[in-house]
Amino acid sequence: MKHSDQHADRRLWIRSLLWGLLLVVCVMGIAHAEGLFRWLEPDARQVIYQRAQFYELLGRHLLVVGVAALVTILLGVGAGIAVTRKKGRDFLPLVAQLSSLGQTFPPVAVLALAVPVLGFGTLPIIMALMLYGLLPIVRNTLAGLHAVDEDIKMASRAMGMTPLQTLYQVELPLAAPVILAGIRTSVTINIATAALGATVGASNLGDPIIAGIINGNMAYVVQGALIIALLALTIDSLFEGLQGRLRQRLSSSQRLS
Amino acid sequence: MSLLDALPTPKLRRGGCPNAVLASLSIVMLAVIWGMDAVSVAPNRIVQGTGVDVLGAIGLPGALLASLLILAIGGLASQPSRTNYAAAMGVVVLLLALMPFGLMVASHFLIDPTLPQARLGIGASYWLILFILLLCLIELRLRLALTRLWPVLILTGVGLLWWLCASLWLDDLALVQEFNARDRQFIRAVGQHIVLVGVAVGISIVLGVLLAMLMRRFRRLQKSAFAMLNFLQTIPSLALFGLLLAPLAWLAANVPVLAQLGVSGIGNTPALIALVAYSLLPIVRNTYIALEQVSPDTLEAATAMGMRRGQQFWQVRLPLALPVLLEGVRITTVQAIGLTAVAALIGAGGLGTFIFQGLGQAAMDMVLLGALPILILALLVDAALGALAEALRPGGIQ
Repeated sequence: MKHSDQHADRRLWIRSLLWGLLLVVCVMGIAHAEGLFRWLEPDARQVIYQRAQFYELLGRHLLVVGVAALVTILLGVGAGIAVTRKKGRDFLPLVAQLSSLGQTFPPVAVLALAVPVLGFGTLPIIMALMLYGLLPIVRNTLAGLHAVDEDIKMASRAMGMTPLQTLYQVELPLAAPVILAGIRTSVTINIATAALGATVGASNLGDPIIAGIINGNMAYVVQGALIIALLALTIDSLFEGLQGRLRQRLSSSQRLS
Repeated sequence: MSLLDALPTPKLRRGGCPNAVLASLSIVMLAVIWGMDAVSVAPNRIVQGTGVDVLGAIGLPGALLASLLILAIGGLASQPSRTNYAAAMGVVVLLLALMPFGLMVASHFLIDPTLPQARLGIGASYWLILFILLLCLIELRLRLALTRLWPVLILTGVGLLWWLCASLWLDDLALVQEFNARDRQFIRAVGQHIVLVGVAVGISIVLGVLLAMLMRRFRRLQKSAFAMLNFLQTIPSLALFGLLLAPLAWLAANVPVLAQLGVSGIGNTPALIALVAYSLLPIVRNTYIALEQVSPDTLEAATAMGMRRGQQFWQVRLPLALPVLLEGVRITTVQAIGLTAVAALIGAGGLGTFIFQGLGQAAMDMVLLGALPILILALLVDAALGALAEALRPGGIQ
């Protein structure tokens, strides 16, 4: 049983490694694949997006998604923990409603509304991504913490654990797989959504797509879309591996007891 | 199912324990109203406005009145009871109704009538107060255990009042000026937006339900279909719109029948295809789950009562599945409203046109004219479909 678990685990990591490799090959190789894109756009003057290197765009894309994800995770998990404590319980319905409201706001509208306040550039897209990515994380944190068995919490209290120790050593580890699933959804959605930032001057992998739409150059669009899709698949499979690892650790600690 | 249904509803506490949520919201509102700019004044549409605080905008009496009303919300919440919550609800509605009058006073004080281009912008504190008042409304709805229909009715009433004020007296407001400059265009854009969303969601409901039924019949289809739909969602919307341009243009150029039908590289066709592609996943997923989750006992009871398969489907399975199915439609429609805005980039029209034109001209009021209706539309659809799903749930409103 355990052996096959490890086997499946290794396969998950290998898959994410393969996607990552494919991503690197594409980012480095697109500049040399002129023939291929020439076939797609025979009449265009240029078929490879030249205004910036693809790895720079990829870096900036990752930075935006990463910063947004970090803030969202801190905020979302923090809020989820706060409203399930005794003192914050009053805020639970409001926080639940608020996070679902966040996903009702279309990212384009948030982006447009954020520009007058925050100016053109990277900040508006980070804000839009934060709002959009909050719901899955808050929802899963609440669900994960709610699902922890009342008896287990009582037992930890009986063992003399303080509420803080119960939170860190019992509740959070047990809720971790569900919370991680929420983070995975949030980040994967946001990798695709971040491309919208290119419309307000945040330079990232959306740039080639916008340039392609404006100039009617399909090759640019394909280049941007390809890298974004590969990035999403890589990150998604990394999360899958992480989830498998977590599941394995939880089940092995159960087996010990 | 929405998150809230899974949570225990807050109980109305008797006596003692003050409501910390409303109290802290009202403290935040006080800080916002005195600490941030309420409105801004600009000589024309391109120049960035200068901010004016609450004293400059509505004077000391106005600022005191607003603060008093806000304090009343927190005060009423410190002794929770049904009547006090209802009274707090009344105060929130009163504040919402008074907000456009505050703008009227501000425009009277601040806008020089000899400058026809001068305009009044809405400031940060105004938006924030509006947002926090909505939060108060949500919180009060939950405490009073009202159905979702109430906030929709209240906000519709308040919205109508605002519309009246804006069209009659608020000529100096930047948003109103921007609207008056292109009112025909605006109404057409709203129409286009709604039609695009409606048609796309309609098509994807039909296709999605069919696909879900096929997946139930042929189990082998299930895995590959879900994988395909999941993959479609990882392609950025922007890219999907772009990727459809060339093949459709080629088709239109080479197949005259399609060109006569209105298929072309830019415009409605690629927008519709992309919208449907994105909308399919939530609908198929929810339909499939909804139809699968009907308990076998119920179905067995239906069989025992002598229902035929068709009857079972139409009279038992479908009605029981309807709330979850509608949840899928709600998610899809809200998503499609946002995506249609992006479709403006490929010439599909709609409210996104104003956003991208405004961004191009650095005219933020125009951006607002596009973004605000999208937001309102999304919130309205969300609330209305949520209320409908609530009403259709077995054991819901009778």
